[in-house]
Amino acid sequence: MIENFLAGSATLFGDPFTIGIFIFGVLGGMLFGAIPGVSMLTLAAILLPFTADLSPAQGVMLFAVIYCTGTYGGAITAILFNIPGAPENAPTAFDGYPMTQKGMAGKAVGAAVLCSAIGGVASALVMMSATEPLAQWAIMNIGPPEIFALVFFGLAVASSVGGRTIWKGWLSVLLGLLIATIGQDPVGGINRFNFGYSDLAAGIAFVPAILGFFAVSEIFIQAEKNVSGKYSAPKFNVDFPSFFELWAHKIAVVRSIFVGFFCGILPGIGATLAAFMGYGEAVRWSKDKNEFGTGKLEGVISSETANNAATGAAMIPLLALGLPGGALTAMMVAVFQMHDLEPGPLVFYNSPELIWIVFAAMFYANLSILFVGLIETKTILYLLKIPFQFLAPMILMLASIGAYISRGLVLDVIVMFIAGIIGFLLRRSGYSIPGIVLGLILGKIGEQNFAQGMQMVHYDLGTYFSRPICTILIVAGVLTLLKSLHSAFFQKTKIS
Amino acid sequence: MGKLGRTDIFEAVFWLLIAIIFFAFSFNFNQPIEIYKFGATGWPRVILFLMALVALGNFYQAYSKGSTAQEGRVGAKENDEPIEYTSTGQYIKTGMILILPLLYGLSLKPVGFYSGTPIFIALIMIAWGERRIRFILTNTILIYAILIGLFMLVLNAPLPQGNMSPFYDISAFMLKTKTQLDQLF
Repeated sequence: MIENFLAGSATLFGDPFTIGIFIFGVLGGMLFGAIPGVSMLTLAAILLPFTADLSPAQGVMLFAVIYCTGTYGGAITAILFNIPGAPENAPTAFDGYPMTQKGMAGKAVGAAVLCSAIGGVASALVMMSATEPLAQWAIMNIGPPEIFALVFFGLAVASSVGGRTIWKGWLSVLLGLLIATIGQDPVGGINRFNFGYSDLAAGIAFVPAILGFFAVSEIFIQAEKNVSGKYSAPKFNVDFPSFFELWAHKIAVVRSIFVGFFCGILPGIGATLAAFMGYGEAVRWSKDKNEFGTGKLEGVISSETANNAATGAAMIPLLALGLPGGALTAMMVAVFQMHDLEPGPLVFYNSPELIWIVFAAMFYANLSILFVGLIETKTILYLLKIPFQFLAPMILMLASIGAYISRGLVLDVIVMFIAGIIGFLLRRSGYSIPGIVLGLILGKIGEQNFAQGMQMVHYDLGTYFSRPICTILIVAGVLTLLKSLHSAFFQKTKIS
Repeated sequence: MGKLGRTDIFEAVFWLLIAIIFFAFSFNFNQPIEIYKFGATGWPRVILFLMALVALGNFYQAYSKGSTAQEGRVGAKENDEPIEYTSTGQYIKTGMILILPLLYGLSLKPVGFYSGTPIFIALIMIAWGERRIRFILTNTILIYAILIGLFMLVLNAPLPQGNMSPFYDISAFMLKTKTQLDQLF
């Protein structure tokens, strides 16, 4: 492994053009992640056509670097404006934004920088040692029934986060799944729910949906407060957390690395689930449970360590199984395909040099978060000084461009604003926006693999249970649902 | 009525209506697929059935326990300070905030990005309560310049040009100027 890593590093730093791409990816991911309204996905969408001119290793490496630094960058907007740059930054906002409101933005962002770097580096190391053996194992053991079971388990867990009640969590996931059915069905290519619009045949894209549900709905909520005279500008502050403040949370960091890595392996849901689980575990083990959500540093630390720990793990289903873990890794699949390559186990045999340059780049990208992130953060915090009347239209415009650019369809801008309105209304009623987005991301993967699995086992559901991995995941998913159902009927409600 | 509120009834009706309407539309693509027994409607109909079922569960929860948050829900928060609407003016303002961006999105195809954006930026500032003409003008120009500079000049991103005169001509002029600038440098 060390020889391969050194060889990957030598290839990465041996060519000035490749170094240039790496630096561009690091700075671009951080910058686009940290500008509210656009995200790493916007940058990736803009860059996608240009990767055709790069070598396959350079193209995939660029996207992997953007993924690492963009995941950190998304925390900045979550902390400063309550607008997560990506779904995986959503729990960061739970405590990060209250910290900003209390004038502790510097502490929150500083913790995010350090913990993102720690989580990312740890994950990159595990990824380097685990991906190849897992790929070999996957060829033998993972098929469509297992992937469907994995999606089912992921959705069962996803419904348990975010919504005010379990019912609202489930409804949010189901809405996401329903939206995912719009467009051509994955087996016969028949148009579904396109309501006469030919543009809808391609389905609802992730990027406009994510921008609408997260960014636009947040702007609407802030605008509503502004109109009602209840808007209070966040307080500006650049005090970073001290070494002792962070050291006090060392256990939370280690726990979140483990949670992040294991959740990150789940396709489609990885980093997002990781962030939620990291945050959830922090709440569960804390002595001051009630302080979470009011601006507790541990909340930011747990969520940011876990989501960056998942970035390396999320590459495992992509590289080992050919399954994208989210919108950005889905774009990585497009980069592979532009160069006539298919991500999956065979990449390890056909293009090992590509794999190791990507691994090395991800390791160094996570390290660079620490150094570049600290310098960048002090500048980014000045965004808080910009008046809301200026910032909000700017965010809306950036989001519009971000939504349009990914596919060049005006429909995507309209979809984004409709998603914004729906998100605004659903958030007011206690539904889970991350749940909707997860349903949307996992819906297509789930249906496709279910159909392939059923054809494979000749429609005999019993065969699913003769496959051990499949059985474990389905049973775990059912138990999660039953536990949620039990809590829905027998648990107390909070006093509001 | 138990602990039911008006919103809870509205929510139940909303989810059930979605389930019914989408179920009705599923007959539009109810064709068999030779290689797949469940066809194109199987998966969406299961989702719709579950949605209706869970909507009833949600209604029951609201009926028996009210609409407060369940204990132990990760990431769920009660509204920190719910906005109370006291006048029709407030409804109109919020309505404007929600509708204006959607109208901008709908206008992009005929009007295009280059002509529609400055008008939208100014309108959105007015809708959000800004009344200082100088502030609106300066910031509209500034935001527009940043967007054009970043996406048109630096990133060369393709933006909607519109298909209606004179908006299409304005877009063409902008793109022609950009090409001339590219040739100059």
